Amino acid sequence: MIKHLFKIVWNRKRANFLIIVEIFFSFLVLFSVAVFAVYYTDNYRRPLGYSYDNVWNIEIERDRGQTSVQTSNVDDGKTPPAAQGPNPTISQLFYALRGFDEIESVAGAGTVPYSHSTSSSGYELNGALVYFQVNRVTDSFKDLMRLELVEGRWFGKEDAGANYNPVVINQRLAREVFGGESPLGKKISPDTEFDGRPRSREDRVVGVITDFRKDGEYAGLGNYVFERNDIESSTGEVPNNIVIRVRPGTRAEFQERINNRLQAIAKDWSFEIEPLSDMRESFLRIYVAPIVAGGTVAAFLLIMVALGLTGVLWQNVTQRIREIGLRRAKGATAGKIYAQILGELMVIASFGLIAGVLVVVQFPLLDLIGFISKGVYVSSLVISLVLIYILTALCGLYPSRLATRIHPAEALHYE
Amino acid sequence: MLRNYIKIAYKVFLRRKFFTFISLFAISFTLIVLMVAAAFLDHTFGPLAPETKQERSLGIYHLLFRGERAESNGPPGYGFLDRFARNLPNVEKESFFTEPGSVYSYKNGEKIHSYLKRTDGQFWEILEFNFLEGGPYTPDDEKNGNFVAVINEATRSKFFGGGPAVGQTLEADGQRFRVVGVVSNVPMFRITPFSDIWVPISTMKTTAYRSQMRGRFMALLLAKSSADFAQIKEEYKSRLSQVDFSREPEFTTAIGDAETFFEFVSRILSPRQDSSNPGSLLAVIIAFMILFMLLPTVNLININVSRIMERASEIGVRKAFGASSWTLVGQFVVENVLLTLAGGVIGFLGSYLVLEAFSQSGLIPYAEFHFNYRIFIYGLALALFFGLFSGVYPAWKMSRLNPIEALKGGVR
Repeated sequence: MIKHLFKIVWNRKRANFLIIVEIFFSFLVLFSVAVFAVYYTDNYRRPLGYSYDNVWNIEIERDRGQTSVQTSNVDDGKTPPAAQGPNPTISQLFYALRGFDEIESVAGAGTVPYSHSTSSSGYELNGALVYFQVNRVTDSFKDLMRLELVEGRWFGKEDAGANYNPVVINQRLAREVFGGESPLGKKISPDTEFDGRPRSREDRVVGVITDFRKDGEYAGLGNYVFERNDIESSTGEVPNNIVIRVRPGTRAEFQERINNRLQAIAKDWSFEIEPLSDMRESFLRIYVAPIVAGGTVAAFLLIMVALGLTGVLWQNVTQRIREIGLRRAKGATAGKIYAQILGELMVIASFGLIAGVLVVVQFPLLDLIGFISKGVYVSSLVISLVLIYILTALCGLYPSRLATRIHPAEALHYE
Repeated sequence: MLRNYIKIAYKVFLRRKFFTFISLFAISFTLIVLMVAAAFLDHTFGPLAPETKQERSLGIYHLLFRGERAESNGPPGYGFLDRFARNLPNVEKESFFTEPGSVYSYKNGEKIHSYLKRTDGQFWEILEFNFLEGGPYTPDDEKNGNFVAVINEATRSKFFGGGPAVGQTLEADGQRFRVVGVVSNVPMFRITPFSDIWVPISTMKTTAYRSQMRGRFMALLLAKSSADFAQIKEEYKSRLSQVDFSREPEFTTAIGDAETFFEFVSRILSPRQDSSNPGSLLAVIIAFMILFMLLPTVNLININVSRIMERASEIGVRKAFGASSWTLVGQFVVENVLLTLAGGVIGFLGSYLVLEAFSQSGLIPYAEFHFNYRIFIYGLALALFFGLFSGVYPAWKMSRLNPIEALKGGVR
């Protein structure tokens, strides 16, 4: 039966060629949208690792002397902070913030969830190149953001005199670097600075958290490292952000009071106060907007193709009235005619899809979509295949119904 | 003759309404997408007010410091521009200003978010803003550090309820400014002029910016004519080789250019961000558009082929009565172009509605997409291209029909 269908399709290959081309392109369009949709959905259902409700961010903008806007030193990532000693202004700001009744806790952070600034780093660890994002935070950050500790402890005052830098990493990084072993107490820094000097203090893992997905629900998974920023000590630095957890129900008006107080303390600095939930909304839009736009365009393209295909198939059926009439006269049932028309269509679709799959298979081979996992890739491939088959079948329904209505006597009379 | 074709075409279109609908849908939808994309590009790169002198303007948007193991890229600082971008040859005027930055103001307990840009006085001389009230601040205001501001219409209505604003004061980022002028809103995609509030550079909270190599500044250079661009670029590049890195030894070279905004975007998109290649960016954009058009085109060809097959006996009769292949091809192409033009009209209407919706939605602050002749000509060219391209193959196929077979209605 299938062999027979192939033969029929092959005999009309010139007429079917354009349909195959159309299905081929439709598949490519659908696949490129599906990949992103599946990728985002897959990311979305993974745990964030923190809670953003009732957390507000205060971004500090100040003159930092001759620092660069975006530096990326892949070899080392962190140029050691210039010894500057504790900054009195930042301590005053923390003190003032803790004084507000509306504020439950205060912490400093290098970067916060749903912000556009990222600090990443990477170096060779245990023979493999490892990349991760780094965030220097103060001790209260963990409880404020409700991070979930799975192993060890968070850093705190007890680390003040230590001869190492305490760091907390996420599970993913722990698995990548240490495999099945417990990472606690292990070193997670290279032996030398990027300029070749030996590193004075090693970074030592003191705890493991589930995750900290700074870029939010839709972003891919990555490695994360928290370093300790002790703003009271000589190695402390002024954080780029102060996060505060406010009492539930605190109104936006409170921002003005905070701003006035902070501005009175630090006249040369600027502050941007925004609840994380607001930042989240505008941040996620950057992910959602392109896929909505792309999805809309793709949907219209597919509707257009579907309409066109219906028209072409309809025309095909009217051309083949005599052939179908003959089959009916020889006793073929309406069901068999259905099966033939739809079967032929499926064979045509398969040709287009095979060509499409051959193209799509090149992407992972050429490493064009390295950020996408195998599972996401395969499931979006399957989803696109199934959808195209369903779509073509739907296009064939009406024309093949017309075909089954053909009365043999009339059909054979045709001309 | 043509009148006859049009008459026939009209009858044919009415006879198979479903096919006509599909064709019109395909054409108009494709045109809508492409014209909306074109409107976005035009909105970003086209010579729109206040950048009316764009054809003889260059900008310095980006600076890249590179060393063997370190790299820093971003906008230049004021100190850098002051030292390297002043008095370039054949530059009539130059203006330095910051990127727009977010600032917050509080009014009756409500938070107002605005963008604030710090500029010099020349900014207002190069760019031609439409002043609704008052006027710009001057280079003297900048020199004396006067706390004066120009605001846009939207900011006026947020702070002063739309009433007259000149002479009143507003607070932003903990500083108080006196409003001297109100201008029409400028779309966000125009990064050179865009902001809500414009204030003199010298109102910065500290003076550290004066010596910074990297920062948040941009420069706008107004050349005497676009013919001088090459000379300006050359001089700027040769000055870059004099950058002194003794204070930041991790860097060895400064890379940058005085460039148009399109050149700048193509540089940012280039792999190492160090060479701008506007030609290849343009090629990529065109390639994307062609790729996008492929599917609708194949679809149209498909429909057209079906359509002709249906008219096989008509063609057989015409052929039998001596119509040459060329006449038939001509007739069919004319029919098809008519159809695409009809689709084009629908497409124009559709894209007008989509763009209006975009402007209204406020997704992109102050975006006002208007049709102009550039987009109109572009859309018309697209529609014609469609008509010709999707008509030629089916017409060619039709012209090869054997009249005898065609008359019998048996077409393979």
